[in-house]
Amino acid sequence: MASQNMDPAAATSTAALKGSDTGGSAARGSVSKRLQQELMTLMMSGDKGISAFPESDNLFKWIGTIDGAQGTVYEGLRYKLSLEFPSGYPYKAPRVKFITSCFHPNVDENGFICLDILKEKWSALYDVRSILLSIQSLLGEPNNESPMNATAAELWENQGAYKAHLHATYKK
Amino acid sequence: MNSGQSLAVPRELPAAWDAVTAALVSPASSGALSEESLSKALDLLCRHNLGPWVEGWLLETMQVRLTSTVAPEFWAGLEQPENELEERDRARILLGAFRTLLARLEPFLGGLERLGAWQDEGRGGLCGPGAPGLRERAFSVIRAILLFSPSAVLQERVLEFYSRTFAVHMIQEGEGGEGEGEGLPGPDGALCPGCAAPPQQCWCQEALEQLQELSHILSRLQLLERVSSEAVTSILHRLIEQRMERRCRGEYESSFLSDFQEWLERVLGWLSRVFVSETRAPCGTMAPAGADSGGAGHPGSAVLQRWRCHMHQFFCRIYVNMRIEELFSIIRDFPESKPAIEDLKFCLDRTSQRQQLLTSLKSAFETRLLHPGVHTSDIITVYISAIKALRELDPSMVILQVACQPIRKYLRTREDTVRQIVASLTGDAEGCSDLANELSRADPVTLETQDSEDEGSDPEEWTPDPTDALTDKTGSKRRSSDIISLLVSIYGSKEIFIDEYRTVLADRLLHQLNYNTAREIRNVELLKLRFGESHMHYCEVMLKDVADSRRINANIREEESRLPEEEQPPLLLSAMILSSEFWPPLKEEKMELPPLVSQAMEAYTHRYEKLKAMRTLSWKPHLGSVTLDIELGDRTLTNLSVSPIHAAIILHFQDKSCWSLEELSGVLGVPQEMVRRKLALWQQQGVLKEEAGGRYSVLETGASRERPERGVLLIDSDEEGDSNTTTQSEQREEKLQLFWAYIQAMLTNLETMTLERIHSMLRMFVATGPVVTEMDVNELQAFLQRKVRDHQLIVSAGVYRLPKSNH
Repeated sequence: MASQNMDPAAATSTAALKGSDTGGSAARGSVSKRLQQELMTLMMSGDKGISAFPESDNLFKWIGTIDGAQGTVYEGLRYKLSLEFPSGYPYKAPRVKFITSCFHPNVDENGFICLDILKEKWSALYDVRSILLSIQSLLGEPNNESPMNATAAELWENQGAYKAHLHATYKK
Repeated sequence: MNSGQSLAVPRELPAAWDAVTAALVSPASSGALSEESLSKALDLLCRHNLGPWVEGWLLETMQVRLTSTVAPEFWAGLEQPENELEERDRARILLGAFRTLLARLEPFLGGLERLGAWQDEGRGGLCGPGAPGLRERAFSVIRAILLFSPSAVLQERVLEFYSRTFAVHMIQEGEGGEGEGEGLPGPDGALCPGCAAPPQQCWCQEALEQLQELSHILSRLQLLERVSSEAVTSILHRLIEQRMERRCRGEYESSFLSDFQEWLERVLGWLSRVFVSETRAPCGTMAPAGADSGGAGHPGSAVLQRWRCHMHQFFCRIYVNMRIEELFSIIRDFPESKPAIEDLKFCLDRTSQRQQLLTSLKSAFETRLLHPGVHTSDIITVYISAIKALRELDPSMVILQVACQPIRKYLRTREDTVRQIVASLTGDAEGCSDLANELSRADPVTLETQDSEDEGSDPEEWTPDPTDALTDKTGSKRRSSDIISLLVSIYGSKEIFIDEYRTVLADRLLHQLNYNTAREIRNVELLKLRFGESHMHYCEVMLKDVADSRRINANIREEESRLPEEEQPPLLLSAMILSSEFWPPLKEEKMELPPLVSQAMEAYTHRYEKLKAMRTLSWKPHLGSVTLDIELGDRTLTNLSVSPIHAAIILHFQDKSCWSLEELSGVLGVPQEMVRRKLALWQQQGVLKEEAGGRYSVLETGASRERPERGVLLIDSDEEGDSNTTTQSEQREEKLQLFWAYIQAMLTNLETMTLERIHSMLRMFVATGPVVTEMDVNELQAFLQRKVRDHQLIVSAGVYRLPKSNH
C-alpha cells in the first residue's frame, strides 16, 4: 500500500491523506457523512446484481454482494465481499476482498483482488457503487496479463472447462 | 305470687300491696290515700323484701295489657275500612290511633314515673334503677311489642301524612305552586296548593296542628325515630329528586347550589315541626344524637343537625348522579356550562362517585362521539372542551387523563387528525378558534420536555391519588392539562405536526403569491415558543425565501426598467424563489412553455445568476398564476387570472388560430387528455370552440354568450386538489420505498436480521430529513409483515431474510 502512495499519479491523494492524518476526528466525521451519502446513493440507484451495506454499527466496514453478470461464466453465482474504509477515505482507496472464495485469474486464494482502480488508479471520485460495478465486470473480463491465479488464467481460454471447474468448486 | 311466704306474712301485707299498686296504676282513684299511709304501706312491703317485686309487677302488667288489648286496638284503629275514606280522614284516624295508644299507656307511664321517683328518693328503703332506667325499660317493651312488625299500613299512612304536611309547610313558607305536582290547580277550579282540597275545605292549618300533636305523642312514647325516620327519608329523597329533575336537568348555565341550600333550609323548618317535641322531651332521649356533642345545646337541634347532614348528602348524591348522566352534554356546552361543572365539582368532593363518573363518561364518549359518523374536527372540538371542562372539575387531571384515553386512541386512527389540528392551530379551520387562541396564550408550555405517553399502562390499574399528584413532578407532567401539548402528544411526536404545518405553510405561501407573510410569521413565532427554535427552522427558511424573493424581484424589475425601450421584456415575470432543500416536495408536472415565456424566464434566470453568484434557478413551469388580457375581434377580456397551462394554451392561439389536440399536446408536452380538460375553460369562456375533427379555433366575433365579469378569477372545475405540494400519503409512500431499499440491501448483504437489528440499522444509516422521518419499531414491524404477506420477505423464528428467488 505504501508504495502506491509514492506513485506520482497519486500525489494529490497523498497530500490529502496527510491533511486528514492531522485532521483527526473532525475528518472522520466528514468521512462518515460521505459514507452515509454513498449508502444513500447506492440505495436509490437500484442497480441489479450489486449491493452493499454496513456490517454492523461501524460505518467503516461494509459487506458487499455481487451477482455474476448475465452471459458470463459467473452467471448464477453470488459473491460476498468485505469493504474496509480507511480514515483517509475517499482520498485513500478502501480495502476490498472477496469473502466467498472466488476462482478467478485476478483473485488470489485469500480473496485479494488485483484491480487497478483499487490501487494505483484510485481516485476520490470513485465510490462504493463504482467499485462494485468494476469488480462485477472484472469477473467476466479478467486481465490475464498479470494473473494472481495462474491456473485460472490458463483455464480461461477454455470457457466450457472453466465454467465446469468454477461451478464445481463454488462454495457459498 | 308470694304464696311461699304467705304463712309468715302479717295480715296487713296484702292491703299494703293493694294500696301501693293502686297508687301506681290509677293514681286518680286512690287519690284519697294519703301520702303518709302510702309510705307506711311501702315500708311494710320493703320490710318484707317485696320492694323489687313492685317494679316487676308494674312492667309485667303493662306488657300483658299491651299485648292483649292495647296493640290490637291500635292496629284495628288504623286499619278501619279505608276504601271510602279521604286523605283527610285517614290523617284523623292515624292521629286518633296514636291518641288512644297514648291514653292507654299513660297510666302505666305515670306509675312508672312515680315508682321511679320513689326509688330515687329511696322511700321506704326502695331501691332500683330510678326514673330514667324504668322509663327506658318501659319504652323498650312498648317498641318491642308494638312495632315488632310494623305493618305496611302504618308506614303508608305516616308517609302520606308527612308528605301532606310537608306540602303545606312549604306553601306557607312561600314555596308557591311548586310544592307538589298534584296540588296544582286542576280544571275543576283552584285547589288549595297545600292540601289539594277546594279552598273552602282547606285543612292546611288542621294538618299542621295534627302534625304537632302526633309529634308530641310519638315523642312522649319515644317512637318518633322509629315511626318517622323511614318516611321522612323517603320523602326527602323523592322531593329532592323531583325538584332536581324539574329545575336542573338540561340546565347547565347557572349554579343551583345556593338555590338548593336555601330550599333545604326551608325543608329543615318542616323537619323541625316533625321533630319538634324532641326538643322539649325530658332529658335522656334515646336518640344517639343526644349523646352527640353536636355543638348544640339541646338534643333536638342535634337531631336536626343530623338530618341536615343527611339531606345534604342526599342532595349531593342525587345531583352527582344526574350530572354524570349528562356529563357529555355539559362538556359539549363548555364553557357555557361552567356553573354546572363547578356545582358538580363541589358535590363530587362529597360523594365517592369518581369511578362511576369515569366509567360513564368513557362510555358516553364511545357511543356518542367516537364513530365514523362524526367529523374529525368535531371530535377535536369536543376533546378540547373536555380538556377545559375536566381540568376545572378535577385539577389533578386524573379524570381528564383516564376518561379521554379512548378519544386519543380513536383520533390516532383518523387520517386527517393532524391536518385538522394544524389547521385549527393556524386559525384556518372554520368556527374553531380555540386552538389559535390557545396558541397565542401568554404563557406557553414548551413541548421540549414532553415525553410521549406510555400506552402500555392500563388506566384501570392506575389509582387516582390527587394529593400525591401535586407533589410528584413526573406525574403532574404526565397529566398535563395544556391543550396543545395534549393534542400534539396524541401521536407521541411533534415532528408529524411540524411536517404538516410545513406543508400547510408551503401551500399557503404558494397560493398567495403576494409575498405577504405577516400572519405566517406570527404563527411561526408562536409555534417556535411551543416546539422550540430548532424544529421551526425549515419554516423560517421558507418565510425568508418569500422575503428574499420579493427583494430579488424588486431588484430585477428595477434593472429591467433601466433598459432601453426596445429591450424591455415582453412580459412581467415575478418569481417565488424557493430553497428546495427546505420546502416540502412539490408536485412534478412536465410542460413546455411557449417560447415567449421561456425566454422571459431565461432572462430572469440570467439576471438572478448575476445577482447571486454560483446559483441558478430551476423553474416549475406548472405552478404559479398568470394574469392576462385577451383581445378578440369584437371584445376584450381583461385581468384574467389563470393557471400557467391555461395561459400557455391560449398563447399558442395567438400565432395560429386553429389547433388540433395532437398539435397542442405536442407543443405543450402534456398528454392530450389533460389538454382537452384544460381547453374546457376557454370553451366555457367563449374564447375557443371545438370544430369537427377535434380541432379548436378562436371565436373572434359573434359570441352570443354573456361576457364574463371583469377581473374574475377563473378556476376550472376539475382542478385536481388545491395543494401544490405532495400529499402526506405520497410522502409516506416515498419514505417507505426508501426504507424498503435499505432493508433489501441489508438483508442481501447480512443475510438474516431480527426486527430490532433492522430497526437500529435504519436508525443509524438512513439520513432523516424533512421528508424521511424516523419509523418507530411498531410501524416497521407492520411494514415488514406486509412485505411478508406479499412474499417479498420471509420470517422465521423472529428473523427476517429475503426469499431465495429474489437474487
